[in-house]
Amino acid sequence: MATSYDAIVIGAGHNGLTAAAYLARAGQKVLVLERRGLVGGSVVTEELWPGFKVDTAAHRGQLAGEIVRDLALGRHGLVMLPGVASLFSPLPDGESLWLSTDPVATRDSLQRHSPADAARWAAFTARLDQVAGLLREAYALSMPAVPDIPAGDLPALARLAWHWRGLGKADMLEVLRLLPMSARELLDEWFESPALQAALAALGVQGLRQGPLSAGTAFLLAHQWVNHGGPFKATARGGLGQITAALASAARSAGAEIRTGAEVTRLLVEDGRAVGVVLADGAELRAQRLVSALDPRRTFLGLVDPFALDPEFVRAVQNIKLRGAFAKVHLALAGLPQFKAVAGGLGPAPLRGVIHIGPSLMDLERAYDDAKYGRPSQRPWLEVTLPSVADPALAPDGQHVMSIWVQYAPYHLQDGDWDTQREALGDRVVRTLAEYAPGLEGLIVQRQVLTPLDLERTFGLTEGNVYHGEMMLDQILFMRPVPGWAQYRTPLEGLYLCGPGTHPGGGVSGLPGRNAARQLLKDLQDRA
Amino acid sequence: MATHTYDAIFIGGGHNGLVAAAYLARAGKRVLVLERRHVLGGAAVTEELYPGFKYTVFSYVVSLLRPEIIRDLDLPRHGLKILPLPSTFTPLPNGDYLAAWDDHDQTRRELYRHSPRDAEAYDDYGRQMFRMAMAVRPILNMVPPDPASLSPNDLLGWLRLGGHARGLSRADFHNLAKLMTMSAADLLDEWFECEPLKGTKSASGIIGTFLGPRSPGTAYVLLHHYMGEIDGVFRAWGFAKGGTGGISNALASAARAAGVEIRTEAPVAQVIVKNGRAVGVALENGDELSARYVASSLDPKRTFLALVDAQHLPGDFVDAIRRFKIRGSSGKVNLALDALPNFTALPNGPDGQALLHRGAVSISPSVDYIERAFDEAKYGRFSRRPYIDCIFPSVIDPAMAPPGRHVMSCFVQYAPYALEGGWNDAQREAFGDAVVDTLAEYAPNLKQIIRHRQVLTPLDIEQMTGLTEGNIFQGELALHQLFFLRPVPQWAQYRTPIANFWQCGAGTHPGGGIMGASGRLAALEMLKDWK
Repeated sequence: MATSYDAIVIGAGHNGLTAAAYLARAGQKVLVLERRGLVGGSVVTEELWPGFKVDTAAHRGQLAGEIVRDLALGRHGLVMLPGVASLFSPLPDGESLWLSTDPVATRDSLQRHSPADAARWAAFTARLDQVAGLLREAYALSMPAVPDIPAGDLPALARLAWHWRGLGKADMLEVLRLLPMSARELLDEWFESPALQAALAALGVQGLRQGPLSAGTAFLLAHQWVNHGGPFKATARGGLGQITAALASAARSAGAEIRTGAEVTRLLVEDGRAVGVVLADGAELRAQRLVSALDPRRTFLGLVDPFALDPEFVRAVQNIKLRGAFAKVHLALAGLPQFKAVAGGLGPAPLRGVIHIGPSLMDLERAYDDAKYGRPSQRPWLEVTLPSVADPALAPDGQHVMSIWVQYAPYHLQDGDWDTQREALGDRVVRTLAEYAPGLEGLIVQRQVLTPLDLERTFGLTEGNVYHGEMMLDQILFMRPVPGWAQYRTPLEGLYLCGPGTHPGGGVSGLPGRNAARQLLKDLQDRA
Repeated sequence: MATHTYDAIFIGGGHNGLVAAAYLARAGKRVLVLERRHVLGGAAVTEELYPGFKYTVFSYVVSLLRPEIIRDLDLPRHGLKILPLPSTFTPLPNGDYLAAWDDHDQTRRELYRHSPRDAEAYDDYGRQMFRMAMAVRPILNMVPPDPASLSPNDLLGWLRLGGHARGLSRADFHNLAKLMTMSAADLLDEWFECEPLKGTKSASGIIGTFLGPRSPGTAYVLLHHYMGEIDGVFRAWGFAKGGTGGISNALASAARAAGVEIRTEAPVAQVIVKNGRAVGVALENGDELSARYVASSLDPKRTFLALVDAQHLPGDFVDAIRRFKIRGSSGKVNLALDALPNFTALPNGPDGQALLHRGAVSISPSVDYIERAFDEAKYGRFSRRPYIDCIFPSVIDPAMAPPGRHVMSCFVQYAPYALEGGWNDAQREAFGDAVVDTLAEYAPNLKQIIRHRQVLTPLDIEQMTGLTEGNIFQGELALHQLFFLRPVPQWAQYRTPIANFWQCGAGTHPGGGIMGASGRLAALEMLKDWK
């Protein structure tokens, strides 16, 4: 009989590794299995071309602070890069908007667009901080099983309610009112400048097949605000993959074993209990507990015999909306692209942060209209990063890497398939970007286009959905991944979920992995 | 204490104002209702705009009117008679059709023709929606408790609500939570595959909103429309004898019988506020009338931004009212016809009529069709190929038109209030043409039989009824504008920041449709307040 583990974690993405590290630290004998030849899942830096290190899937993000602290990730080599916290939006007329942590520069930039918006910026960020603070509290918890809340969950909920009451009568209701709104409704209440509205609305639709007019996109905006600690997105020295490298190191040093190139094809289920996994090479591995970091659909419909599950549960899993909406384009560049808007004397500083291409909120909505009917956007919204500007080690001397998040690129196409439309998408993206950065085409040394289909194949993201399940109001909190199963447990005794398909959802936060590990450990304790 | 001429004055003689007034009068109060127009009913009126042809001008069907109101006010004795609309007929571009008949087996056979799978799912879907509607129903009958308040009344409200939630099965609770937030299209995708079925059902999710069927939040609107009961039969839509004006007339008659005084052509210019208290109203003709309580059934914007001097209201309250979303999205086309339109998909018999004319005709061949109609509206154009819901009042109630002739009532979406370039006569006619052209694709004889046409844009509806932006719900039924957030946070209990001034229109919980619940709940709150 093969070695038996306390826990086998399926998938070495940042959530799987986080869960593994927490479990191993608690003394569990843990094995992590990863299909690919490298760890990291969607939070990974790959040398696509010699000397060019590229964040191939996720391109910005940071772990929740408590995970960095608990696992002492600084000691495992994690260094977050300061000075990349900005959002730069070049506009077609050569003008631009540049928001950063520098309040004076931000105010000056906003002032040029709208003095009223400049005056409201601080109050807006304070309101979002307030909402994010409340969500953050909820994100640290396992969601209670509603409507029959077990007594054990009450103290945590009471703390949450206490935090909420602390906001004061008017603000208590304001934060509730905000969450179900559309990004447009929210932003219309605050701002008038199209550039500012667009840059913020993009946070509300990123990764969703929804436009900024869709109710609930204000929630995603707030969710991103929680994950990023504000409107700006961080990255790590050496690329975003350093986050998962540090997590893997922390997990290993706590005693976890990590195997790459080990694809799980099936779960072993005996008497309604998940007892182990079968690998692609036929090997069987057994464990007391299984923890899947894969998305719920892949986990239950891909790895489990459907007859082992209640049909109502299977139906609920089938109904999880996982609609891929974006593609990625990676470029190796011979030099730094020249943005028209930067020529105005801003210097290269704005290129260290995130570059947003989408002049107005309604342009984002138009881009979504295409996707709604199964077409890639004719005028996509682009979120561009040039990680080698802040971290020159990511590219050969004087050269650069550029990663472009392209939205919308629907997984399900009305006509044709992604294998034949891949390069056309890449061409359209480069053309669109070249309008803002003339001469871009001439700098391109290498190009990789990852369609939603490629994202699914390479990273195991079902339908190319980066969140493992759309972050919409009907799929969050106690309804994530499916109503009734928000506590990381599953109908199969011994099987837990720990991916972003569970509460509190997508992003690089690592909180689903941490919460799942804590739930599992608590269940063990309750049992003992 | 000053003596008042009236115990209560109600501004607006729409159905909510009449309901509230009747409840107060039944409790022995001296009540006056003031209506700007010559006709009572607000958006529920029947008018003979072309000799012999009676148009049910704005609203045209009924199902949401609360049964307790019908009972309490004894409306049938006052002439209320609701006639069934036995079918919904959706003609399709390919010459076929999808119909739902009042005969369950027949509907099932019809669905089976399009999709056996959907025919199988249909009953389960109906049962689930019924359970969801039952789960929401108690909420329609309660004053929304304020979650930010710790007063005994509010806490009691939450306890009641919590008890109700715990009474639901886990599955029902979860389904309801999802239903509150998802899109109508996503909801229907979970059940059905047949596009005409999904299109027609999703239309209930967009009526009165400025949203497409793929917009999250529309599943709740769909449920809202599902909550109607007629004579205890759930999900039954009906047509009031005499048009929706028939409902208003019955309500007015019941109110008068209870002692309410009603004045028409008495537009109110302002609510008179003294020392932070409402003490009466000033009419446009200069008359001043005093009352202990003043209540407005107008929409929140009109109530607080037009009737009341802003100095009497806190600034953040005024801001909140300004932010309240009332977006006009629908229009109406009323037609006087020489004969009934002959639909290609189900041609008229020798009597010049087909079974479909007794029910509704819905132009909703697919979800995408409606979504495309919405796309145009969100960029400021009216839909060239709109969603249309038609009925033929004269078929159901022959008194609506001269013998052998007919009236046709078409509800049309989308027609944005904020039309690019603004509404004018040419745009109105172009909009009317788009509606007739769309219908003529399915019933080619339509253009030849039109005798008279009334086209109402959202701007027309606003000017005629006073509804801001012509929005039929007095404010969108979006999640952030429902229950304790309707119309604005902290003021969802029919009171206002001005003492003795009340709100009782559809802009308050539980919202629009000819439901009367807002008026009734407001009246009950006012009575509780009476010392």
